[in-house]
Amino acid sequence: MTTASISLRARVPRVRARPLAAAGRLLRLELRRNPMVWLLLPLGALMGFSPYQVSMEYAPVWNLRASVMLDHFLPLVAFGAGAAAWMGSREARRRTTDMVTTTPRPGWARKLATCAATTCWMLVAYACLVALLYGVTARQATWGGPVWWPVAVGGASLAVSCALGFAAGMFIPSRFTVPLAALAVGMAALMGVSHSTNPYALLSGADGIPPSDIGVFYRNPPDLAVIQLMFLIGLGIAAAGALGLPASSGGPWLRRSAAAVTVVGLAAAGTAVGLTGTASVRPTGVVIPALHDAAGDGPIGYTPACSGVVCIHPAFRAYLADLVTAFDPVLSEVAGLPGAPARADQIASSDAGDVGALISGSPAVFRFALPATSHSFIGDLDTTLVTLFIGGQPAAKGNGGTPAQQAVESGLLTAAGVQGADSAALSQASPAISHAAARFAALSRVARRTWLATYLPALRAGHITLVEVP
Amino acid sequence: MTIATGAPALPRAGLTRQAAGLRLVWLHLLSRRVPVALIALAVCGAVLRAALVWHWGPGSGNAALQLPALFEIGTAAVIAVTTYSPFGEPERATGRWLPWLRLGTALGLTAAAIGLLGAGAAGESLPGGILAIVRNVAGAAGIGLLLAAVIGGALAWIGPMAYLVIAEVALLQAWTSPWTWPARPPHDRGAAICAALVFAAGITITAVRGARDSAGD
Repeated sequence: MTTASISLRARVPRVRARPLAAAGRLLRLELRRNPMVWLLLPLGALMGFSPYQVSMEYAPVWNLRASVMLDHFLPLVAFGAGAAAWMGSREARRRTTDMVTTTPRPGWARKLATCAATTCWMLVAYACLVALLYGVTARQATWGGPVWWPVAVGGASLAVSCALGFAAGMFIPSRFTVPLAALAVGMAALMGVSHSTNPYALLSGADGIPPSDIGVFYRNPPDLAVIQLMFLIGLGIAAAGALGLPASSGGPWLRRSAAAVTVVGLAAAGTAVGLTGTASVRPTGVVIPALHDAAGDGPIGYTPACSGVVCIHPAFRAYLADLVTAFDPVLSEVAGLPGAPARADQIASSDAGDVGALISGSPAVFRFALPATSHSFIGDLDTTLVTLFIGGQPAAKGNGGTPAQQAVESGLLTAAGVQGADSAALSQASPAISHAAARFAALSRVARRTWLATYLPALRAGHITLVEVP
Repeated sequence: MTIATGAPALPRAGLTRQAAGLRLVWLHLLSRRVPVALIALAVCGAVLRAALVWHWGPGSGNAALQLPALFEIGTAAVIAVTTYSPFGEPERATGRWLPWLRLGTALGLTAAAIGLLGAGAAGESLPGGILAIVRNVAGAAGIGLLLAAVIGGALAWIGPMAYLVIAEVALLQAWTSPWTWPARPPHDRGAAICAALVFAAGITITAVRGARDSAGD
């Protein structure tokens, strides 16, 4: 009896002297016992499916792929919230609330350890996704380096969805909390996709897929990422603090501390919401005046990658050969005609207008922006070149211009050997236009150039009718 | 004497059996938390209505289908977790009508989910319409019911949530496989057949075998 008492007395101070070690041990236990370990494999497979696979279908530009990854986060945050809600309701589900309340550790510390372990496993899966995505992008990218702001926002989104889901599971320990928490978090993420109607939806990480050249020609300001992080971290802190509010969480001072933490978190989130109200969306990104560093707004210097008469940004060097193959026949078809572009240069999408391309300068240059996806963009660009050359901006914005302009555009594209010259706009043309286009394409190259050299100004002005096309 | 006492007892015995049957159904529904499930489904319908009225989701293209898909799959997850039984073996050993009760519960909840989501979308332009709701809810519920038979009712929400990931990619990339039915037009026969097959398989297995009893998480 005496020996036992001595033994107990000897142990108690040692445990109390190292509270962090005890918390670490608790976290280790939770990490080992967490069901997320078993969900890692299916979660990894789902992450490989989306967002990894989807991101890889875009050009190997760091900012672009990171943004696509964030834009496809909806199912992952919903999944994370559901898993955390499941863990949050564990004590009630197993009817062990009374039993664990008698343990020496405060309820808040116990719940935080469970929440942290669930979040850790989600973040491990996320880190693997980022490592894979960035590793492959590093091998493919021809310019720039990894961007970490979107990665931080993605991690914070996952952590916050876990904290909110856990709190929901703890406060409402029902079997329906899991799907409803997942649904609520998924809905909140989805609202970010439709941010055009509500500026506050910018706070969601999933704020749409940007232009392909984001952060390439102009620096992408980190203002929005900072605000999103402030909002998400604030929400996460508030949710973590809320776990300590119930009476079973600990003594009065602990609950007061939890209340203070909750208030601090809500204040941070509220500040982020307030700052978002001052945001202005510019072509280069979202600008928050209170955070913006105007010194970095200028263009980023680069040496273009050129081949023949086609020059593009080195970030898109992988597409240079395809672009040359696409542009060369079209440029040679119109070479020497009045106002015909002699070369093609890539420009920033923010400078390319609604059409995404323009012909300007003397001698004329076809300036184009690359679209966000690589799917069939080359076919679109050579069609745009011809449409701009014949019909100008109004024709490129509309359905290709007047019937005569459409026929000549289609005929030129066919003569240049462009695959699918009957593009979406031209394929809807009337049989008369198609017939005139075939007639024009069947002319000899010399005959076409002679006719264009004579009638191009009148054709551009819309004074040529369909029957006058040779 | 026997006839005299037995004759008036017959109608009372019939009444008792009917009352007992109703009580059995009610207790089964309570054990599966069906009343709460109906409230959860009604909340889903109400939030869907709010989302449509205030345009919370993407407005055009296939991305616009993300919003109804989220709710359809979410309600399917609610249906799936109702299969969890707190009684396990004793219930299976004594419940002669259990398969019919399970079948009725799953069918009734699926119909309720379709009805409540349809009511939530009434008068608003829901992408896909009511046909898509029927197909998508039934298909996703089938996935949840199938998973309930494999890993247990309490964890059956994982199936619809995992399918949500696939559906989201299929929607944004306009996949044409009938197995990704949320991405297919409402009148697509192949997608309807696939969803119906999954629902039939899920509801049959869950009705006959019940959700798997899971000892731990």
